Amino acid sequence: MKETKAGIERQESETEACAKGVAEGSAEGRYIYSVVTGSEFDFGNIGIKGCSVYTIPYKEIAAVVHSCLAEPYDTENDDEAKGWVLEHSYVIDCATNAFGTVLPFSFDVIIKGGNEAVRGWLSQNYDHLREELYRVKDRSEYSIQIFFDEKPLSEAVLSQNPELSKLKADIDTMSKGTAYLYLRKLDLKVKEEVSKEISKLAEEFGSCIGEQADEVKVERKVPKVPENYRDKKLVVALNCLVRDEKVETLGNLLDDINSREGFAVRFTGPWAPFSFARLKR
Amino acid sequence: MKPEREFGLVEILDRILNKGVILNADLIITVAGVPLIGVSLRAAVSSVETMLDYGMMDAFDQKTREWYKENYSTADIPLAEGEEIIRRTFGSLWYSQGIISSWRPGFWYLTNKRLILWRRVPEGALLDMPLDEIEALRVKTEVDFGNEREEINLLFREATVRIRVSDVADFRGAIKKAVTAKPLS
Repeated sequence: MKETKAGIERQESETEACAKGVAEGSAEGRYIYSVVTGSEFDFGNIGIKGCSVYTIPYKEIAAVVHSCLAEPYDTENDDEAKGWVLEHSYVIDCATNAFGTVLPFSFDVIIKGGNEAVRGWLSQNYDHLREELYRVKDRSEYSIQIFFDEKPLSEAVLSQNPELSKLKADIDTMSKGTAYLYLRKLDLKVKEEVSKEISKLAEEFGSCIGEQADEVKVERKVPKVPENYRDKKLVVALNCLVRDEKVETLGNLLDDINSREGFAVRFTGPWAPFSFARLKR
Repeated sequence: MKPEREFGLVEILDRILNKGVILNADLIITVAGVPLIGVSLRAAVSSVETMLDYGMMDAFDQKTREWYKENYSTADIPLAEGEEIIRRTFGSLWYSQGIISSWRPGFWYLTNKRLILWRRVPEGALLDMPLDEIEALRVKTEVDFGNEREEINLLFREATVRIRVSDVADFRGAIKKAVTAKPLS
């Protein structure tokens, strides 16, 4: 990354390779990685397919872009597509390092036109973009997934619930056939109690975590998790927008949950605020 | 505990493809929603609902519908001159030959000339019965898996034809009306 004073004209000539075809009359576009609080900046050739990434400033905000054709990036090749997405992610990381928290854009958002079109768009949405940047300033997104092992929790439920422990004791004295039927009944009741307990805990954890975060979003989709969490069940998955100075407190809180028997917490971040960046029309 | 900075590829893909700012303005020619990248990659990271939300499946849906249109022609059955469809209803016909016996599903067409059970795929008539050859008509109650069920029985070429439709009374009435030209026993 290098800062440059040469201006946008030079950057445009550098990106000729990325914008092949512009000269032949195809429409010109700007691929947008993020919007930042910042000024003119040249990131070098770190973009998708090695494109030169630079900023287009308007007042104190700027769009991080590369110059391209006004056509979506498309490929049938999965590895190539994954590569592009990772390059997109890398540019967002670089922009965050350079300017602090950014408004991250989704993959393949392209504005039709040149630098002036982007500047025009920035100026039209200036108030809102500035507000959004302020909202995420000095904050990052963290992802929290809380898992549990069913076995210790079932055992706890069984020993603490007098009705269930009595049923279990009764079963020991029954004949084999009757005992089988009652065992199934007991299993169902234990499962029911465990799921009640889980939703109670999810609420409890959620509200503790919420106190440390500016905003919390519950992930509806079951997240894809690393291998070592596969055999565990999910209690709750959250994305949180957290102030930098609160991350340590949040970490300590998660330690408490993590140390409970049967529970495991996965805490990842900092991410750019993907779940919290909003853009009204 | 400190947050892990080691993210899985899938987690990165999920965020960049499914989250982040998506513009909604005339300036924007493309967003992550339309199938810009391999469907399999998207499928790996997003649920079908998300794909539907973003219009991902539109093309697929379109193709499926076209296929259905071609293969499950909604055009009615071939009719003779002056032949008109009176009733069309889904139903089945009892088929029994050797060790095979089953209800064969299809669409029953009652025209002013024939009673036809039409199968869509592969296309063809499972039964094509000129109305003037129907010798008798009755409604019979049969027990089917412990449930009583009414069916229409026709006598056709000295054999009983067993017919099931959802509205037995209506279909029977319609057949009866259609064959009034020929007296029924």
